[in-house]
Amino acid sequence: MPDFTLLPDQTVLLIQIAAALFVTAFLSFIYVALTTVLSLNKLKKMAGKDTDNLLVCDVAYFHCRGKRENQEDSVYISPLEDSYSNGVVAACSDGMGGLLYGEDVSRYVVERLDQVYPMKFDDQEGISAEIKKISDEVYEQYHLGAGATLVMTHILNNKMNFYSVGDSNIILLRKGRVTLLNHKQNYISLLIRKLAEGGTETSEAYRNTRAKALIDFVGNIETNVIHTSRPIQLYEDDIIIISTDGVTDALSFNKIKGMLTPEYNAKQLARLMKIGVKNKKLPKQDNYSAVIIKMDRSLI
Amino acid sequence: MIEYFTFKHSGEKESYKDEIYLTVVPSVTVAIFYGSVLPATSKVSPEMFSGLLAEVSPDPDFNRMCQVLDGKLPGNAEYLVLRIEGSRIACFRRGGVAAKIVLGGDLKMLPNGIFGLNEGDRILVATDNFYSHLSDEGILADALVTDSCSDWMNLLVRRISDVNQLKCGNLSAVTLLVR
Repeated sequence: MPDFTLLPDQTVLLIQIAAALFVTAFLSFIYVALTTVLSLNKLKKMAGKDTDNLLVCDVAYFHCRGKRENQEDSVYISPLEDSYSNGVVAACSDGMGGLLYGEDVSRYVVERLDQVYPMKFDDQEGISAEIKKISDEVYEQYHLGAGATLVMTHILNNKMNFYSVGDSNIILLRKGRVTLLNHKQNYISLLIRKLAEGGTETSEAYRNTRAKALIDFVGNIETNVIHTSRPIQLYEDDIIIISTDGVTDALSFNKIKGMLTPEYNAKQLARLMKIGVKNKKLPKQDNYSAVIIKMDRSLI
Repeated sequence: MIEYFTFKHSGEKESYKDEIYLTVVPSVTVAIFYGSVLPATSKVSPEMFSGLLAEVSPDPDFNRMCQVLDGKLPGNAEYLVLRIEGSRIACFRRGGVAAKIVLGGDLKMLPNGIFGLNEGDRILVATDNFYSHLSDEGILADALVTDSCSDWMNLLVRRISDVNQLKCGNLSAVTLLVR
């Protein structure tokens, strides 16, 4: 046993204070460690599986008016605190230009999506039916006098389903490749099909003045909802962009590829895209909105 | 049951020099011959390939059939042969023709060998020229949003058209769906 009797009283006091501080720090460390372990177990139970390989969705968005008088785009992101149990749902809806009430319809679409949330991840047919129901409601209200596009992704446990009506974009950036996942429902699809079946090249289709005309949209009769029947596997550093065409009218896929790289987080990626569109200074810049999701390695 | 859809396009070239061979009896056999990459002086032609395949394909032993076929074709011939029997698929490829299968939300290339098949599996067989205008992510997305082979092929052709308006040399592909 150390003998403190020969030490001055002041030194003994300092040693006692130091010992008390050490014990406090040690107990605090034990408390924090235990709390963390308990929280992780709780999260693992919530996810219902081993979370060691789960990626997390880093999410950001922008929502800009461009040169239009009204903001006809609407954006939806589900509550992120529910992401472990219900996944992340992100959507963009673009009110159709040239028709009245585009702003109202796109807002209505995302408000209804919010009511439909939470959605069962593996019930792609059910979710698709809900979107069709929303479209029917718009049709009942406006009778083709208004409409909107819709692109939506649903991400859970490193898998993604997507849903699309109209000509907005769901873009995947993976390992330097940029891919538009959903096909645009416009007239050119029919022209290309016809020309390809006839064995000819298809440049004529791209010259057609009605090439970009929509053949389906939210608010149409018997809307066809494009949707995945099984989910796509996602990987670390995948970047998913859910955007209206105001973004891709200003930024080509090559430009997007050069601009967005995985070393940035979602907020930085969103800012880069937004500035990229703004700097393009298109005289008739459409409303431009996007949700950017970057798949990151989870800490748990 | 196997559903299939074939696509052959000269792609602005004067003639179509690839070949797609398909039989469904006694088993489903799909083959693509990549004739458009061969020089005009090549000894092997699409007709020769089809003739040889028709001759050897009744052999129930897939490996032996491929060995015989390989031995009879010149070294520069590029092709792929698939045989589907029940819940098994056998693949043999040489050169720039490949088969890709949708598996667990991903797209994987089928190597040479025999593998199991499940209901709903989707397979694309195509030449390198067809693949060169597509990304795996695009092929996968199109497979997952369609419920027929013809719809899947149409979406793939649309993607290629968006790149080059189908002015890109011979295009040959087959989509397969296990029902």
